[in-house]
Amino acid sequence: MSGYILGAILDKESPLNVVDALLLALIGIAIVFLVLIALMLIVSLVGKIFDGSAKLQEEHPEWGEKISSFKAKLMFWKKPQPSDEQPPQLAKGTCGELTLINCEERDAAMIMAIVADSLNTPLNELRFKSIKRVED
Amino acid sequence: MNIGEILKNLWNDSGFHLFGGDSGWQSIVMIIVALFFLYLGIKKKFEPLLLVGIAFGMLLTNLPGSGMFHSEWWTVENIDYVDILRHGGLLDILYIGVKTGVYPCLIFMGVGAMTDFGPMLSRPSSLILGAAAQGGIYLVLILAAATGMFTGGEAASISIIAGADGPTAIFLTKTLAPQLLAPIAVAAYSYMALIPLLQPPFMKLLTTKKERMAVMTTTRKVSKKEKIIFPILVTIIVSLLLPSVAPLLGSLMFGNLLKECGVTERLSDTAQNALMNIVTLFLGISVGATAVGSVFLTTKTLLIIVLGLAGFVLATICGLLIGKLLYVISKGKINPLIGSAGVSAVPMAARVSNTVGLQYNKGNYLLMHAMGPNVAGVIGSAVAAGFLLAVFGA
Repeated sequence: MSGYILGAILDKESPLNVVDALLLALIGIAIVFLVLIALMLIVSLVGKIFDGSAKLQEEHPEWGEKISSFKAKLMFWKKPQPSDEQPPQLAKGTCGELTLINCEERDAAMIMAIVADSLNTPLNELRFKSIKRVED
Repeated sequence: MNIGEILKNLWNDSGFHLFGGDSGWQSIVMIIVALFFLYLGIKKKFEPLLLVGIAFGMLLTNLPGSGMFHSEWWTVENIDYVDILRHGGLLDILYIGVKTGVYPCLIFMGVGAMTDFGPMLSRPSSLILGAAAQGGIYLVLILAAATGMFTGGEAASISIIAGADGPTAIFLTKTLAPQLLAPIAVAAYSYMALIPLLQPPFMKLLTTKKERMAVMTTTRKVSKKEKIIFPILVTIIVSLLLPSVAPLLGSLMFGNLLKECGVTERLSDTAQNALMNIVTLFLGISVGATAVGSVFLTTKTLLIIVLGLAGFVLATICGLLIGKLLYVISKGKINPLIGSAGVSAVPMAARVSNTVGLQYNKGNYLLMHAMGPNVAGVIGSAVAAGFLLAVFGA
């Protein structure tokens, strides 16, 4: 049967008959649904993983800290790369040693001003060690 | 010097004289059709970016004696591209991009760079609606076979019009039925432009007022990482399942990755603007050039136009019916109007869902919800094309 169908379909000269078209249509729509349902399941799964991970971090902030400390340990053992060897960027005009990581001076100044204002504490009484931009 | 002889030769060489030849009336008819399309594109603004190019290509190719396009060179078994580059007219050379399938893929790259898959990722059930609307493709395949006039490849190429996806229609037809490229491309793009007129009557006919008024709530926020992972995953999974669709889907997803990864803004900008515009220009004019009167004006063309229209309607109906099913399953949380957006005309079909929804419930903006099935429809029609290529392209 399948040989007959395939033979008829692959015959480029003769018209396609309705029975073959019907069978092909059934198989075709089934494949479209299967592929898109598979994608739907994968998308849902990926979404659940991301949502779950965000929820876990909210529920157990201490896990986040553990992961950060683990990452820090890994960084300690990592072989220094040329980019790692560059000295940390120091903010100009400060007496302390504020390290800016992926953060513009202008943004850092704004953050420090906002923190000082919300704590109602003069800026010179606060000590900032580092400001790091957290990627999404 | 015989002035009379010179003038006579000049007249014999002119297009006006050549109109008196065997296919002269067909050229005149096609020029009138081209002028009508120009009117639709310019005055009525029906998909002008494509229709104006297609219409002008149609006009140029039907001017006798211009030698800008030679349809007979493209229907032979082994095309001599070197000879075409040496002796071909402008439109012959531009048509190489269509024949080799380069333009549809580049268009898909631009479409990918302009598409936000976020709405679909936040509501994965949109993919079901994108799949449902592809039912129109397979129903047209059966209808085309029922006419008894089309071979398998031709019927498959006609059926893909129902996918409402111009680049996919061109990509499939150039492989399976190159002789039908002009009517299929013209039908696909013309009906895409007419979606705001074609869909609403069926949307109103197949849904109740209560269903049309259903309010859809905001879905979860999709993270950037998900948006980056999605195009990579889809490319791997779908291309492994249906390798024949890898050029199209790969281009679409590559364009999307350029947009989402956040480190290739310049490339993304080029893909969605400069590149997209250039390819649209070349694609429109060279597709229009294939509408040579002597080849275009046949009974088959008329049938293709009718089947294409049936395909759009059937695809809309299939999407709406599954939309109604999801409305029931979700207990009214999914508005069935977004089902019609499962045809992949992005973003026209989604806009139509939004417009019809607003007519019955002011403030019920369905656009973002309809974009999910709409972009899922692009993937669905590419998968359908991959299947048809795998069967008939062997």
